[in-house]
Amino acid sequence: MTPTLAVDGLSVRFRLRDATVHAVTDLSLTLHRGELLAVVGESGCGKSVLAHAVLGLLPANATVTGTATLHPDGAPPVQLIGAGERQLRTLRGRYIGLVPQSPATSLTPVRTGRALLTETLRVHGRLPANADQVAEEAGLDPHDLDRYPFELSGGMAQRLATALALAPDPGVLLADEPTAGLDRPLVDHTLDLLRRRCDAGTAVLLITHDLTAARRVADTVAVMYASRIAEHRPADDLFAAPSHPYTAALLDALPDRAFRPIPGHPPMLTALPPGCPFAPRCTQADDACTALPTTTHGTACHHPLTPAGAA
Amino acid sequence: MTDRPGLAAHDITVSYGRHTVLDRVSLRVEPGETVGLRGPSGCGKSTLLRVLALLHRPDHGHVTLDGVAVTGARHTVPATTRIRIGVLFQNPRSAADPRLSLTDLIAEPLRAMHRPPDAVATRVAELAEATGLTTDLLRRQPHAVSDGQLQRACLARALAHHPDYLLCDEATTMLDASTQAHVAAVITDHQHRHNTGVILVTHDPALIHRWAHRIIDWPPTGT
Amino acid sequence: MAELTARRPLVRLRPGTRGAVLAASVLAAAILACLLVPLVWPLDESAVALNQINQPPSWAHPAGTDDLGRDVAHRTLYGLRVSLLVGAVAALVAALIGGAVGAIAGTVGGWTDRILMRIVDTVAALPHLLLGIFIVAMLRPSLGAVILSIGLTHWLSTARIVRAELLSLRTRPFIDAAVSGGASRWRVYTRHLLPHVLPRMALATTLMVPHAVWHETALSFLGLGLPPHLASLGNMINDGQRSLLTGAWWASLTPGAAIVVVTLAVAALAAHWRDRLDPRVRAELQL
Repeated sequence: MTPTLAVDGLSVRFRLRDATVHAVTDLSLTLHRGELLAVVGESGCGKSVLAHAVLGLLPANATVTGTATLHPDGAPPVQLIGAGERQLRTLRGRYIGLVPQSPATSLTPVRTGRALLTETLRVHGRLPANADQVAEEAGLDPHDLDRYPFELSGGMAQRLATALALAPDPGVLLADEPTAGLDRPLVDHTLDLLRRRCDAGTAVLLITHDLTAARRVADTVAVMYASRIAEHRPADDLFAAPSHPYTAALLDALPDRAFRPIPGHPPMLTALPPGCPFAPRCTQADDACTALPTTTHGTACHHPLTPAGAA
Repeated sequence: MTDRPGLAAHDITVSYGRHTVLDRVSLRVEPGETVGLRGPSGCGKSTLLRVLALLHRPDHGHVTLDGVAVTGARHTVPATTRIRIGVLFQNPRSAADPRLSLTDLIAEPLRAMHRPPDAVATRVAELAEATGLTTDLLRRQPHAVSDGQLQRACLARALAHHPDYLLCDEATTMLDASTQAHVAAVITDHQHRHNTGVILVTHDPALIHRWAHRIIDWPPTGT
Repeated sequence: MAELTARRPLVRLRPGTRGAVLAASVLAAAILACLLVPLVWPLDESAVALNQINQPPSWAHPAGTDDLGRDVAHRTLYGLRVSLLVGAVAALVAALIGGAVGAIAGTVGGWTDRILMRIVDTVAALPHLLLGIFIVAMLRPSLGAVILSIGLTHWLSTARIVRAELLSLRTRPFIDAAVSGGASRWRVYTRHLLPHVLPRMALATTLMVPHAVWHETALSFLGLGLPPHLASLGNMINDGQRSLLTGAWWASLTPGAAIVVVTLAVAALAAHWRDRLDPRVRAELQL
């Protein structure tokens, strides 16, 4: 089945005054219709940059290499990396949506929720009268649509931002930490909403550091570490029997497992080591790990925990 | 109730104008125990923690520390009392002065109490090691470190004076699993060594069950 | 494999950096000229040359002469010195007054804050030039009176900026953390609040310099500013009026153009600085 979104060899570097930040290195993944892929990793590993790179929203000091091909329904495939701003503008919203990380900064403060929502619907060719319906689906009381963003609590603002992303009904939805700072019931509601959209055919890329959230709704999980993907496998397999030592250690840190931290800390993205980036903290590491591992069966490791080919 | 060890809030009421945030709320934490406070956001938990940390004077009610009433407006409570209670906030970005290096951030409470410079340097080194911050990281400013590293620096700062009580306001919500486990380990270690009482505000059920000795649902009314 | 730079900036970096460089060069040239003129080409303020009245611009006199035969370009440079000096000092006085008022209002709060802000609103409602004239008229017209006049009418924006900054910072967790860590009130103000307020205050002061220069010019134009024989830009524009009827446009235009160019340069630089101070523009990329 043709993937809706195919990323191949994506690398993003930022030029700073005295250093280069390698935010994403040689990243490849595919996303299919009706699939919810969760990209997990600690803060600072580059996962937000991935979403912004695909949408063409990076600042001017970013250098992007690689391809990200979007296959919209009933239209020829589009190469997102390097696409002009005008072309990207026709794609954003209608074909790829973004649920942003901090809704407070992404909502126009001088317009009510309803004004924003009806405008979005109208621009993308949908009936403005659906505003109440879209709001309800996102868990927002239609009465709250008549408020201004500063009158909304953090949770309500996030629901409004979600509604705005869902309104044009895009084929691909990128959700960048949509549940950060929310209460558990709202986290669950947002995740279930994304899951429902996914079941209805949307391809969803969920970026989060919350492993529990990923476990709740994801079909596949990609674990990022220091700008690379360490492991990318079906969710059930990954959580039951993680193959990469980093994934195993990360799961071990959860309070409902061993609650044990991983010793050491990740490398700075301005000074990535030549070999496997996790080697300094890895219990399995040896001399072979001074070379970059190749990805076999979804795992980039010289000494995977689960034998290759097994579940 | 006299001279019993522990940090306690008694019948605290706080209102902003006509909006009552806290209504006759009481809470107690004993030395060496971890109390988990569970409840939805926006209901006053943060305000209660600020009252307990002696940062906000309640409209009614009082706070006792080892049986002695200590409430007052921020600076009327003596600094020697204030430093017995440490606070850790949810968002390290707004809890850290963006102009200070991590070293200065951690050293600030010690310098505020006029500790001699070599004592300050030693203590900062101890705290940095306990929280896993390397010398390279210590030199940086907040914008050059990740959220997890910054929160660890804030934890080091909160522990600088060996506080008898530590109040954590959703302190690990923004952190990944490993950093969260690390922060919990450091706090628990401090607790074992200094018999620290910890109040943990969180809405993560797995975390509260794993970490807290005693769980209280909002609103707390018993002492 | 397309290797290229992403085109659309996520954050709009300060527009017109070229403009700021131009403004800086203009200002630097003006300041340099003002500093060097008394050493290289001193002016005798009271010298007149009645045989050279109202000469149009020529090689000998690049901006012509005024109705007393004095070289306009020369006097403009001297006038610029005075105007910039008065402007800078007066802006500083205004900044000190405004900073003090704003600091008291922002930290003490309560009724003190309300009363002070109502005073600010009242003064703001008065036309500041009229108020300035009133102040100068109360005292004898002199350099000090002019400076005081500007200072007492231009402190309002600084007061509001300082107060707003303090109010917003006081509730941030990092202030709570400092208090919890044992910082005294004095330490909180000087170590934690002041360093954040000062950059904005400095910016507001710089933005005020053009206003101060204009105010002084207006006062001098009305004859209420500096003594008439002194070469101040306002005096010169005032004097030059008389020559306009005979077609001698250069006597007023040259000092006028000098004010406009220099104040625009200061304002452009201050605007550039203000954009750079904006934390969103300046923040390193969050990954």
